[in-house]
Amino acid sequence: MNGVSILILAAGLASAQVDPDLERRITELEKKIRLLEPGFAAAANRDLALRVAALEAKISELLPPAAPEPSPQPARAPEVLSLQPLSSGSARTPEPEPELRLPVAGYMDFHFNKERTQPGQLDFHRFVLLFGHSFSDRIKFWSELEVEHAFVEGGEEKGEVELEQAYLDFLIHPAFNLRAGMLLTPIGIINERHEPPSFNGVERPFVETVIIPTTWFDTGFGATGEFGNGFRYRAYLMSGLDASEFDAEEGLRNGRQKGFQSSFRNPAKAARLEYSGLRRLTLGLSGYSGSAGFNLNTVNPRVDIFSFDGRYRAGRVDFRGLFARSYIRRARELNFELQRDRGNLPNIARQLQGYYVEPAIHVLPRRFRNDAVLFARYEKFNTQHRMPEGFLPLPEFNRSAWVIGATFKPNADIAIKFDYIFNRNASSVIRPRDSVNLGIGWWF
Amino acid sequence: MVVLMLRFVMCTLLLTIPASSQQEKTERPRKVVRIVAERFTFSPSRIKVKQGTEVEFVVSSDDTDHGFRLPAANIDVAIPQNGKGDLTVRFIANKKGKYVFECSRPCGAGHNLMRGLIIVE
Repeated sequence: MNGVSILILAAGLASAQVDPDLERRITELEKKIRLLEPGFAAAANRDLALRVAALEAKISELLPPAAPEPSPQPARAPEVLSLQPLSSGSARTPEPEPELRLPVAGYMDFHFNKERTQPGQLDFHRFVLLFGHSFSDRIKFWSELEVEHAFVEGGEEKGEVELEQAYLDFLIHPAFNLRAGMLLTPIGIINERHEPPSFNGVERPFVETVIIPTTWFDTGFGATGEFGNGFRYRAYLMSGLDASEFDAEEGLRNGRQKGFQSSFRNPAKAARLEYSGLRRLTLGLSGYSGSAGFNLNTVNPRVDIFSFDGRYRAGRVDFRGLFARSYIRRARELNFELQRDRGNLPNIARQLQGYYVEPAIHVLPRRFRNDAVLFARYEKFNTQHRMPEGFLPLPEFNRSAWVIGATFKPNADIAIKFDYIFNRNASSVIRPRDSVNLGIGWWF
Repeated sequence: MVVLMLRFVMCTLLLTIPASSQQEKTERPRKVVRIVAERFTFSPSRIKVKQGTEVEFVVSSDDTDHGFRLPAANIDVAIPQNGKGDLTVRFIANKKGKYVFECSRPCGAGHNLMRGLIIVE
């Protein structure tokens, strides 16, 4: 006899012994059954197994017939995921009051601007709401609705309501997707990245205001995609600029149609190639070409814009810069036609040019929850860089500016900004004023 | 004697089963990728892994809050904004193919195209 057999025998003997507590509980159960069924007679013998069997039989009699068991459902195959998740979670820095997220996004800009010798002005410059919707993983909508200067009355003397973006993306392949609707012209840095915390300075750079007329948007359609290795592109056909609104001081800026029954005769071509293959480096090359004479009778000038920009972060230092040049073909004829219409010679250039460079340093250590940035931006921009034959440039439009300032971010989405602008031009008669600016901008 | 032999066989089996599964775990290739999310890119945005690899993404934001959505793994989680920590996502690349991941929290004009690609070879 081996050890296993001894163990089995011992277990059997133990189970055969009568447990007084078990016997008492069975007796109690028999009494309860007799309350329900007085005719129930407990088994007379001491065999617990027989008494339990009698109880089971009586309970089965007393219980209503059991409902038929539902037919078994076909077993659902477990969802097979091509990528099997293991875990995901964020190691968030604990927040005493977590942020509440709304189903819309938006940004706001509230400014105080004061030019030297002039009274200061408070301006709620921008109130912008952004809405998106995914019809499916492959069809997505995005929009941006903006109120500028808070108050809109009649024309545009007070403020503006602008639909800056409203388009559908048809996501076909990472290298080729289609987009149609109201689009931002893919040019420069700020035109597509103008959320207040994403740039330094209360106002946007001058170069990206008069040489590239930010915010520049219009109706159109085109393709977007990514080639791999950090290269991506956007290429659109868009409604062109209106040359009848060009002027000497602000260049192309007033020629934006802004999607208001935009003429699509001779649509313009706009494209941008971006490289972000190295960490924290982005380089961009943008081009625009389109006819702008749909509102003119005798001339159909073509506008070409070329721009190169870059952004880089190395440790606690940021650097960004941009160069842009605009060409207005047949500017001489354009000037003559506008002179006939307006009664004065607009003196529009055949080339506009500008550039800026901006180094910035994050002065607070990384371990701080807040961020503070000191920056300096030098801008050189001339809306009369090259004049048509027989026209002279006005030196007050050959401008430069030093913008020195600071940005404090108590939260990555809130920017409290201050800057002082030293404005200069080449004129010895008309002197620009320096200005001081304060602003709060936020994104949510 | 027979009992002793049986016990020895049982003990050996018990010890070897977890050891072999542990060995399986350590044998699976593992890849950790650090990704920086910034309006409107993931950098890097194309990530190649071998089939069967246990992949760990450590995602941080250089600006605002973003989202990380990987439909092929049923993952959709938030990437904390700059300075508020990292997101860690772990999964096993079971099947060869190309899988898109994207930002799932509106972050600005280029949000719809803030996407990346995982290539399982």
